[in-house]
Amino acid sequence: MLNNFIFIVLPYTALALLIFVTPYRYFSNRLTWSAYSTQFLERKTLFWGINPWHYGIIPVLAAHLLGFIAPGPMKALLGNQRNLVIFESIGLALGLFAVFGCLALLLRRVNTPILKKVTYTADWVLLYLLAAQALSGVYIGVFMRWGSQWYLHTAVPYFWSLATFNPQIDYMADFPLMLKLHAAGAFLIVALIPFTKLVHLLYVPVGFLTDPPILYKWRSR
Amino acid sequence: MNVRAQLVMVFNLDKCIGCHACSISCKNIWTDRKGAEYMWWNNVETKPGVGYPKKWENQEKFKGGWLRENGKLRLRALGKGPTLFNMFFQPNMPKLEDYYEPFDFDYGNLYKAPTGSDQPVAEAFSQISGDRIDKITGGPNWDDDLSGSQLYAVEDSNLADNTLVSDYGRMFMQYLPRICNHCLNPACVASCPSRALYKRGEDGVVLVDQNVCKGWRFCTSACPYKKVYFNWQSGKAEKCIFCFPRTETGQCNACAHSCVGRIRHVGVLLYDADRVEEALLKPDDQLVAAHREVILDPHDPEVRESASRNGVTDQWLEAARKSPVYALVKEFAVALPLHPEFRTMPMAWYIPSLSPVISSGGDLHELADHGTFPLLEKMRAPISFLASLLSGGNEEIIADVIKKQIALRLFKRAGNIGQPIDDSILKNAGLDEAGANKLYRLFTIASYRERFIVPSQQREEQDSYQRKGSSGFGILKKTRGAK
Repeated sequence: MLNNFIFIVLPYTALALLIFVTPYRYFSNRLTWSAYSTQFLERKTLFWGINPWHYGIIPVLAAHLLGFIAPGPMKALLGNQRNLVIFESIGLALGLFAVFGCLALLLRRVNTPILKKVTYTADWVLLYLLAAQALSGVYIGVFMRWGSQWYLHTAVPYFWSLATFNPQIDYMADFPLMLKLHAAGAFLIVALIPFTKLVHLLYVPVGFLTDPPILYKWRSR
Repeated sequence: MNVRAQLVMVFNLDKCIGCHACSISCKNIWTDRKGAEYMWWNNVETKPGVGYPKKWENQEKFKGGWLRENGKLRLRALGKGPTLFNMFFQPNMPKLEDYYEPFDFDYGNLYKAPTGSDQPVAEAFSQISGDRIDKITGGPNWDDDLSGSQLYAVEDSNLADNTLVSDYGRMFMQYLPRICNHCLNPACVASCPSRALYKRGEDGVVLVDQNVCKGWRFCTSACPYKKVYFNWQSGKAEKCIFCFPRTETGQCNACAHSCVGRIRHVGVLLYDADRVEEALLKPDDQLVAAHREVILDPHDPEVRESASRNGVTDQWLEAARKSPVYALVKEFAVALPLHPEFRTMPMAWYIPSLSPVISSGGDLHELADHGTFPLLEKMRAPISFLASLLSGGNEEIIADVIKKQIALRLFKRAGNIGQPIDDSILKNAGLDEAGANKLYRLFTIASYRERFIVPSQQREEQDSYQRKGSSGFGILKKTRGAK
């Protein structure tokens, strides 16, 4: 029952929300499409929170995605024991970095009075959810070692089965509860993307890298 | 030649009385909203002083504007690659304390306070957190009129010798009203990773597209004038819009309209967009001349034809020909750009003001020696100070402008009191009688329609199908926290 919910209902719901709500939000009101930076109001603690968080979580997230996109090359790379140890160590360090950053951001919201008026329920939900997600990830990294290897043989085939609309939850059914929670958290975060300020991660500015510096727009053209 | 039109404002600092009427009219129209309380798209500073935000002129601190490097211009702050890696925490962004924490007073308490033994008071509270503020430590014009201040005025980066701030015989004071300069080479536009900021082709106004802005905040520090602000409520950047809803219909800006001293002029300039970069690569002291080179003569048929080819309408060309701004900036060359060395080619121009003579007990009678008006050499405001502010350090340019203003006064005074007019006075300052009379009119009795020649946008020539749905009152879509 729990398995069906976490590994079938949740991911498809999350995906559907992401695919259908995001364009709706984009076309209906882009005035709320912002990362809602609070650097202007408080910057000392932010520095120690926002940088570790982003620089920790982005490579970790990229590694998860890479395993999904290119399982073959990843298996070949991590088949070597030395590579596996290096990969695992870097991953754990980045995970701890992200946890540190996320907790700093959470405590900052708690302890900075001036942020009171720009902190909405969604901010608390996201901060707690992301902190829990990062912590459970680190727990898995420490207590269920060599995840970068077994991930490729369990979660990745399961993701592909999701993508081909033939969900094979047997890949995931026998994992300990912590990993199931980690998966559920991930789907929940995906589901929340279109509804919260997490939309900012759907937009990576790269156009400006090649554009001429001064942009002109004409009303009449 | 790539001719474009630009709406430009000229400020005659000689007439600014520092009344802040401009700031208030701007505030009432544009920034009396949540998240924008601290923003003053138009503000008036006391010089010498630190300004708003504090020490905005110090580019070592905020890293605004452009640098010349190996024959090219680059943003002082961050290149494109580093921009991507500093998105989460923008290292040069001015913080709230650099402006001030916006406050209001709890006037309701004067009526609602329970009966007691004390008079009720209206306590100050923060407009951001809503919490009580015991001691207000900053405001939009916190060092207003404090040009002798050891706390603020001495910190003015334009002062070569800041001991004069404490010397009663030498201290001086002037006002500097500032809006967004709507630069020809805007650093804010170049710094935006989302490409939300743009320069409008028709009138050169620099705007932020609120739909595209994602709140990365690079514009706030890239603008060397600190005229792009971050709205802490909506999470987006905002700036002076040159009152485009007014100018599009041929009205002048609210700040200019409400100006008590009638110091402001608004009009059209034609410029050559292809020569902007080349002009900005000149050394600091040649920048003012280079800026003027880029501005084209609206009477020149070749310029007019080229402008027409770029879509500048006849109405705009006519406005360019009559432009009071062209007369002040190029024809008489009395207006100067604010801090041209930031290399954004600002399009708000300033006529430097005269100042009282340096006096020490006993030599006041010297005034009479040179016919009522002080000599250039005797003026209190150091030429080097004005040069640092308005000409990239070129003192000759400042002296030329001041000489013109003195000559104009001597000429008109002689006329008024029926004295013989000495032609050489005007000639030495580079003026003639007709020019002096025109300048006199612009400086003094010019009417509203002479000071502001703002052509409207020809909406009827635009594609109405395109325009449908792209304009409106903006009441259907709301930002975060908007009611």
